Amino acid sequence: MWQKSKPYLLLLPATGAIVLLFFGGLFDGMLKSLGYFPAIAERQLHLTAYTELLSSDSFWESLSLTLRVAAISSLLAGIVGGMLAIALFMMNQSAKVKESRLLQRLFQLPLTIPHLVAGYVIVLLFMQSGLFSKFLATVGIIDQITDFPVLVNDPFGWGIILAYTWKEVPFVLLMVYPLLARIRDSWRDVSRVYGAGNLSFIREIALPIMMPSWIIAVFIVFVFTFSAFEIPFLLGVTYPSMLPVYSFQLYMSGTLADRPEALAVNIILALMTIVLGLIAYYFSKRWNVTKGWQ
Amino acid sequence: MNGLRIEQIEKKYMTAETDQKESFTLEPIDLAIREGEFVSLLGPSGCGKTTLLKLTAGLLQPDAGKIRFGNKDITRMPPEARRFSMVFQEPLLFPHMTIGDNVSFGLKMQKVAKKERQFEATRMLEVVGLAGYESRFPEELSGGQQQRAALARALVAKPRVLLMDEPFSALDPGLREEMRELLSGIQRELGVTVLFVTHDREEAFEMSDRIGIMSDGRLLQVGTPTELYEQPASTKVASFLGLKNIIKGNIKAGHFASEDGGIEFHTDKTVIDGTQFLILRPEVVLPVTSSRKPPNDSVHLKGKVTKLKFKQGSYIAQILAGNQQLECLLSREEAEKLEPEKIIELYVNQNELQFVEH
Ligand SMILES: Nc1ncnc2c1ncn2[C@@H]1O[C@H](COP(=O)(O)OP(=O)(O)OP(=O)(O)O)[C@@H](O)[C@H]1O
Ligand SMILES: [Mg+2]
Repeated sequence: MWQKSKPYLLLLPATGAIVLLFFGGLFDGMLKSLGYFPAIAERQLHLTAYTELLSSDSFWESLSLTLRVAAISSLLAGIVGGMLAIALFMMNQSAKVKESRLLQRLFQLPLTIPHLVAGYVIVLLFMQSGLFSKFLATVGIIDQITDFPVLVNDPFGWGIILAYTWKEVPFVLLMVYPLLARIRDSWRDVSRVYGAGNLSFIREIALPIMMPSWIIAVFIVFVFTFSAFEIPFLLGVTYPSMLPVYSFQLYMSGTLADRPEALAVNIILALMTIVLGLIAYYFSKRWNVTKGWQ
Repeated sequence: MNGLRIEQIEKKYMTAETDQKESFTLEPIDLAIREGEFVSLLGPSGCGKTTLLKLTAGLLQPDAGKIRFGNKDITRMPPEARRFSMVFQEPLLFPHMTIGDNVSFGLKMQKVAKKERQFEATRMLEVVGLAGYESRFPEELSGGQQQRAALARALVAKPRVLLMDEPFSALDPGLREEMRELLSGIQRELGVTVLFVTHDREEAFEMSDRIGIMSDGRLLQVGTPTELYEQPASTKVASFLGLKNIIKGNIKAGHFASEDGGIEFHTDKTVIDGTQFLILRPEVVLPVTSSRKPPNDSVHLKGKVTKLKFKQGSYIAQILAGNQQLECLLSREEAEKLEPEKIIELYVNQNELQFVEH
């Protein structure tokens, strides 16, 4: 008995801490979003916060902005990351192994940079008084730096999209490249003998092989950009703001009465993340075509 | 005439790109294959068979020489434009495609309509004995089945030349036999031109119209199986074909004397004086019996039986003549009269004597 349960007992402190912090926080948030606030003598559970939230325009605008930014940035990251993976793979095939390795390292750099720093980098580069704008003005492509499009703290969210794309491209690359690397050199020979040029090879062999893991990668990026806080906080506008920022704004608004709503936003975010996660999990199971490869 | 002509093809491999030492050289090779002909390349491991095949397919670029198909120089044509097929040592099916899609891959690249290529793939799978396997994935097939699917993939594309690199070497003997017959049948039926690589003598002899013997990056001799076997051009070819009776000696004015002096005789053949090797196929070394009188001019040998080996319906006797081990093929009745340590008389007809210079 002791022998069997020993590993579990040893893991208990760590598991306990994780469960307490993660689910405890979530549970506490949920209770409060339902109006349970002993500090101000509120002990009744009700859905007021949710109904108010769902009937407010700013919530819906915030949600649509969040979905749009997450969708565009994950798609962009997916497309750029996928194209880079294929380019690296084809370079590897055409005996440019050294160059390919070097570029691969280079492309992995943004992975090591925290999101907050990535946000600042975008600010410094793309602000109207930023590096690119000043450069273009100096070269004479634009007359004044104010002619540079507003890409940072803009209502559409381009700054956020840029930052996420830049930061998540290497992630997509990291997810799909190992699959491409498993394509054997001799498959290229086989496909060439049977009439496949470079494009056909990419279409018939490389793309289908990387597709399952590409879709999962894009999904993960989507779910992440959907619920992350620091980049939209740094690069977004006050109104409309993305959901995590909206929640933060409500929580810090100064009135305790707004807090259940702020927490309701969080619970909704958490639920959506769970649903998206389940969908991703379902597809990752279905597309497990890589099993049985030597 | 849509034959394949390999003209003075050369290829060097360097050990590394930096130092210019060559690790392997394919010497200039000439080989012409007629339309519908089945030619095998036979040679030991590492002699450059795969290299020659890849050069022919266009997967490698030669350092010099030309490859012609019909009247056209295709040396610089990329492999995808040649419409050749190649079966490799391994099946190399694409794991993410069904067997049906794998087989029809070549047709898809040739832009054949989907219905038609599915029809052709199904038909070819039937031919190779894999009817009903279309929707399976490669990993759900055994190694032999995968190799058959690879053969179907090669044949269905209606290749102008079919290149095969030891396609059956990974199969067990029974299956190998079956696949050889299958391939021979299909090849005759479709009239496809085949260049087939193997290191299995039997395989080459059984299937080929002509065989090329390779060694160390050289093509030593090309000929029909009988030509090669009865008139090997060198001791290397002879020993590669499994001939053991190779006797080094000297010829002077029509008189042959083996190096150790154990065998001496006069020959009517016109052979240049000097060092010569005598090659005797085991079936031309005949025992002298009461019922069979050797012709007057035949070469007589005497030797001691050292060993009798049974070999699929006949016997191989090992006989020590002088210091020379000879192998001689005997029928069962002949072999039953012999036993080890017995001294026997043997003879060889003049016209079966075969001399080579190296
Ligand atoms: N890419 C390469 N770079 C350098 N040397 C090579 C390369 N490919 C083959 N070789 C060398 O060339 C020689 C011939 O190789 P090849 O593959 O043509 O032999 P093979 O006759 O097909 O042998 P096997 O019967 O074992 O398949 C070998 O000595 C091998 O080491
Ligand atoms: Mg080989």
